[in-house]
Order: sequence, then structure tokens, then C-alpha cells
Amino acid sequence: MKILVPVKRVVDYNVKVRVKADQTGVETANVKMSMNPFDEIAVEEAVRLKEAGIATEVIAVSCGLLSCQETLRTALAIGADRAILVETDVELQPLAVAKLLAAVFKKESPDLVILGKQAIDDDSNQTGQMLGALLGRPQATFASKVVIEGGAAQVTREVDGGLETIKITLPAIVTTDLRLNEPRYVTLPNIMKAKKKPLENVKPADLGVDVTPRLKTLKVTEPPKRSAGVKVPDVATLVAKLKNEAKVI
Amino acid sequence: MSDLKTAFAAIVGESNVITGDFAAYANDWRKKYFGKPLLVVKPGTVEEVAALVKLCAETKTPIVPQAGNTGLVGGGVPDESGTEVIISVARMTKVLEVDTINNTMTVEAGCILQTLQETAAEHDRLFPLSLAAEGSCRIGGNISTNAGGVQVLRYGNTRELVMGLEVVLPSGEIWNGLRGLRKDNTGYDLKHLFIGAEGTLGIITKAVLKLFPAPRSTQTVFIGLESPQKAMDLLGFMKGALGDRITAFELISDFGLSLVTKYFPQLKAPLPPAFPWFVLSDIADSRDAAALTADVEAALGEAIEQGIILDCAIAKNETEGNRMWELRENMTESQVHEGRSIKHDVSIPISKIADFIKAADAALEKAYPGVRPITFGHVGDGNLHYNVAHPLASFTEPNWTKELDRVNLIVHDATAQFNGSISAEHGIGQLKREEIKRYKSALELQVMKNIKAAIDPQNIMNPGKVI
Ligand SMILES: Cc1cc2nc3c(=O)[nH]c(=O)nc-3n(C[C@H](O)[C@H](O)[C@H](O)COP(=O)(O)OP(=O)(O)OC[C@H]3O[C@@H](n4cnc5c(N)ncnc54)[C@H](O)[C@@H]3O)c2cc1C
Repeated sequence: MKILVPVKRVVDYNVKVRVKADQTGVETANVKMSMNPFDEIAVEEAVRLKEAGIATEVIAVSCGLLSCQETLRTALAIGADRAILVETDVELQPLAVAKLLAAVFKKESPDLVILGKQAIDDDSNQTGQMLGALLGRPQATFASKVVIEGGAAQVTREVDGGLETIKITLPAIVTTDLRLNEPRYVTLPNIMKAKKKPLENVKPADLGVDVTPRLKTLKVTEPPKRSAGVKVPDVATLVAKLKNEAKVI
Repeated sequence: MSDLKTAFAAIVGESNVITGDFAAYANDWRKKYFGKPLLVVKPGTVEEVAALVKLCAETKTPIVPQAGNTGLVGGGVPDESGTEVIISVARMTKVLEVDTINNTMTVEAGCILQTLQETAAEHDRLFPLSLAAEGSCRIGGNISTNAGGVQVLRYGNTRELVMGLEVVLPSGEIWNGLRGLRKDNTGYDLKHLFIGAEGTLGIITKAVLKLFPAPRSTQTVFIGLESPQKAMDLLGFMKGALGDRITAFELISDFGLSLVTKYFPQLKAPLPPAFPWFVLSDIADSRDAAALTADVEAALGEAIEQGIILDCAIAKNETEGNRMWELRENMTESQVHEGRSIKHDVSIPISKIADFIKAADAALEKAYPGVRPITFGHVGDGNLHYNVAHPLASFTEPNWTKELDRVNLIVHDATAQFNGSISAEHGIGQLKREEIKRYKSALELQVMKNIKAAIDPQNIMNPGKVI
């Protein structure tokens, strides 16, 4: 069984994001970048399936700038077998990424695609679903457990108010939630090995995909600054403030 | 007492004089000392501190200065006489100025260390002092203990980070030495007397602190190796390969790590427990993160080839780096769960650390077969927290505590043998006051006493601490 794992390069979770002065986006120059945490969980899950003898090959794919190679190297260090970079400097939106992934899917014919439920930079939560639709294949989003049986995946999903378990026929798309697994630390020997694993570079045109953005960003702004708290002398004042100023009770 | 209370209240206001429930102020963090203060007073300004001290000087009331009360040697807690007044700077928490050109910030002594780190970060600067108690300790306490912490290797102790001080002297006079000068050769450098004085010479009320450019990226690594000697070899190797970008270099023994993973099971060890020793290190740079990671990988790859290290986990994002540090930060607490160990905070010339560990281990094993040393610390700057857990077969926790003096003697004599110090960073306080007499010359002790007598002739400023 072959697994395709799309991974996105994003600003590190711990970096305090700054908006560019011209309000066209967020500052990424000289900023620590890492693999989207949900994608890391996806790579970990795929590698575990391989280590359990269920999967035979794990292919990581990333779309974007040449520097996404570093993110792919991380996926290879976790244990992916090879990697594909779809290189472009065009700003990629979820539909374009889904189309690129669909094209890679058609080329590679994997049995399973595991990817993050969303990326922590744009929080779109669209790519997995769009990919399922484009391919006409079943999807299970927000997975907290994945069991492969025969030609199907039994996936436990985190839904409002509890867990839902569904069974989908492979090939299928699974998007990961936080509790699916805890990704491993990568060790230096595995990083060294990763440097020798194959990394293929293709362009959107090679895949016949038009990635021109369809959405236009008008403006990016900082959230309003939190105003300082106030101390109240007693409960009565607190209640009065909650009633009259905050109007929450 | 009620007179004094009224007079204090007139200075700081009724609500800032505490007369009941002293626990948070009178007991130390390790629950070793349970002092009985007369009162706790919480002034809000330097003028209030000065007025309080003046009153104490007039009435010969002994003062215990206190900041965050996280000190580990009983320096910030009163004795049991019920006569000492704790003056807490905890309400003095203003950041007065951040100067990004002079690269300094002027702050009040009660500022929480973590708040100062965050303030510096907001100005795209680094205030490098960092230690496990940073969420509770306050800068006045850090300065008074000349706190070290995890970045001493690159940025030095608190002493190196202080450019100026404002101090209320035991007379109640205010000395304003708030200079932000990197060069100032105009006689005795008084601020250095108050740094590390543990509150025995006056109450620090404000400080000018040094700031540094904020590193753009930090790469954390967790390394498995064979022995402390290899760790020292690695330190030399990394200094050569990565220069002064190494900001932290911590040694951790397998036993120490196993206690953390035992009592904090949610914290995963980055490497399999098969290795006898570990090093946790941070390498920071103001350049691009990817370039830094590449340099670190290349250097440590070479260290594997040369047989200096056995394996190494490289944090792939900052969250993982923080998790690696959580292991280190919970070492002290995990030892509390395992049963009280006998603690040491020694400093050894870096080149002799491995020999010291061997010598101390052997001397202890001879006296107490089966003894379990928990060896860890900021070895990048020669500092070891050499803690000793009881031998399981022959001792229980309560009767192990009775061996304190003998164990201290064994470890500290080994320290002296290698020209080390019996208190690398935690200070003397009450805990080691008698013991330093064994390791410091009579002359050195006499000069210290002379200084104390010159500045605090009535001996009202934290009496019974240090000397
Ligand atoms: C979990 C933990 C980890 C620690 N790790 C480290 C470490 O890595 N490195 C290290 O060096 N230390 C460490 N310490 C101990 C360290 O000394 C303190 O954390 C800190 O520096 C003391 O600050 P504080 O505000 O708590 O001072 P306090 O405990 O309140 O006081 C400490 C001493 O300073 C005096 N003092 C306090 N405020 C003033 C003032 N304004 N003017 C004059 N004297 C004053 C007190 O009288 C006392 O003698 C650790 C402590 C804990 C609990």
C-alpha cells in the first residue's frame, strides 16, 4: 500500500507573527519556518503504518517555494521514503494546492492520502475536502484513529460532542486531528539518511495545473490590542461592570 | 509591635502591612526553613522603602529583604525569633524605560524575571537571564543572588547583566547608581558589592539591565553520550565548530532523566534510555534558522563520526525544543517526588568536571554503598547540581536526611580538591554560612566582615545570612 502525505511549510507555531508594514501579508523573511503541526502528525501516522507492515511506501509532497525542500527533508527524516516538490513562487490557495495534489495522485496512484486537517497559517481547512471532491474519492476528516482493514480505512473522527467512527473504501483521503498521534523526535542519523533519499522537483505546468490565485487579499491587519485589565474593589462593582459595561449578564 | 505596625502602615498604607498568615513569605521554596517574622511590609516606591528602613534603623529592627522568595539557601526568609521584618519588593513592578539604542532597560526590583524577558522581546531584544524559577523570581532577588541559570555560557551571570543600581542603604539613605554606562572607571564599583550580597548590605530598588539583539532562531538538541568526559570533549568541539552561538549546555545523567519521565510521564525522552549520559544544548543565531540548523547538523554529524557522541535528537520546531527543556526544568521537582536528596551546587573548572564526578561518586560509594548520585547542571560554565539520593537497600528518606552533614562534607571536600566552589550560584544564605568557613581563608572572611560592618554597622540588614 502506497501513502501520499502532503506537507506545508508554515511559520513556526511559537513565532509571534507580525503583519507586513504594507498590510499585504505576514512577515516571513528571517522567520523560523517549520512543518505544519497537523502535517507532522500525518507523516508520523503514515510512517507508523509502514513500520507496522501495512504500508509499503510513504511519499511526502509539498507545494510552494524551493525552501519547502527543508520541510520535505524533515518528512524524510521522520521516515518517508521519497519526496516530491511542486515548485512555484505563485501564492498558492487551497483549490490550487488540491488540484496539484490531485495531479500528483493521478501520477502516483496511492491507496491513501493523509494530510493535516488545516494549516496553522491560513486555517482554511479546505485542501483535504477539495482533494476528495476533485478525485471523487471518500474522505474522513479530523481523524483521531486510523485502522486499515482489507481495502478500507476505519477512521475515528473528532466531531462536536464526541467521536464518530466511519469506514471508507480505499483509495481515500484522511485529514488528521491533534490526538491522532504524537510525532517522534528526529535523530541525526535519520536526518543524514534523509539527505540521501530521492527528492523530485516538478513544476505546476509539468502537472498541467493552472495555479493562478482566484481570491484576492485586500488587507491583512493585526488583531486589536487587548486593553489592560482593571482591578475592582468588590463583587458588587464586578457585577455592576459585567452588567452595564461588558453587558454579558 | 503595634507601634511599629502603625508607623509602617503610615508609610505604606494599612493594606500593605501583613500581620497574619505569613506562610508565603516566611517559608522558603524548598520548605526547609519556617521563619517567624514580626511583620511583612510591601512598599510601593523607593521613598517608602527608605522611610521603612530609616524607621528600622532607629528602632534597631532587623530587616529581611525579599523578592520572589524562590531562593534555595534560606537567604530571603526570617529566623524564628519573631523580631525580623520582611520588606518585600513584590509590589514594585514597573518597567521605567527601555532604551533600544543604549540596549538597556531600567526596572524596579519587584519585576518578575519572565515579565522582563517578555518586555525585552516586545522590543525585539533579549534579556538573557533564564532559570527554572523565572515565572516567580524577581529581578531584585536575581541580582542579590547573582543568579546564573541556563545562558551563563554565552551571556554571563546576573552580575554581567547589571549596569546600574539604586539601593536603599541600612541607614535609610538612597544611593542612586542608575548609570547605563558600559565604561565607568571612577573608583570602587559599588554596584558589584550589592550584586550577590543576598540582601546583607541594602535593599535594591531599581536596576539598569543590559539587553542584547534578539536571536532570530534557536536550535535545541538532545544528545546521548558515554561519559561526562565525552560531554566535556563535545563542549570543546562545539565551541570550535559553532563559536559563541552555543547559549546553553546542560549535562543530565540517565538516572536524573529517568526520574523526570517517571514522575512526569507526559514528558517523553527524545532519545531511548539506553545512553548513560545526555547533553541538552541550545545554539542561537541572529541569522536565518535553516542555515543555523544546517550548521548544527554538520557539526554534530562530525561529532558522531569522531565518536564523541552516540546519538542526537534535533528539535524540528520550537515546540519540540521547549519540550526538551521541560525535561530539564522538571528535574528538581521530580527529585522531590523520589524522596529528599541531598543537594549540592558546586562549580568546578570545566576541564576537571569529569574527574570531579568520578572522585565524588567513588568517595560516596565507599561511604554509602548503593548511593544514587543525580548529576546534572549547567556544565557549559562549570556548574554541577550534584544531588545525592539515598541508597535504596540501607536507607529510607527520613534517616537519609540525617546524613546531610557527612554527605556535604564528602562532596565539598571533593570540590575543594579540584579548586572548585561549594556554591556556584545559589549563594550562602543561612544554609552554607557555617560551611564556607571551612573553604574560605580567614583573611577573605575577615575582609567580608569589614565590608559588612562599614555599610551596616548596626547589623540590621539580613543579619545571620552569609556571614
Ligand atoms: C525551581 C528553581 C530553580 C532555580 N534555578 C536556579 C538557577 O538555575 N540558577 C540560579 O542562580 N538560581 C536558581 N534558583 C535559585 C535562585 O537564587 C532564585 O530563583 C532567584 O535568583 C532568587 O530570586 P527571588 O526573587 O526569588 O529572591 P528571594 O528568594 O526573595 O531572595 C533571595 C535573596 O536575595 C535577597 N533579596 C531579595 N530581594 C532583594 C532586594 N530587593 N534587595 C536586596 N536583597 C534582596 C534576599 O534577602 C535573599 O537573600 C532556582 C530556584 C528554584 C526554586
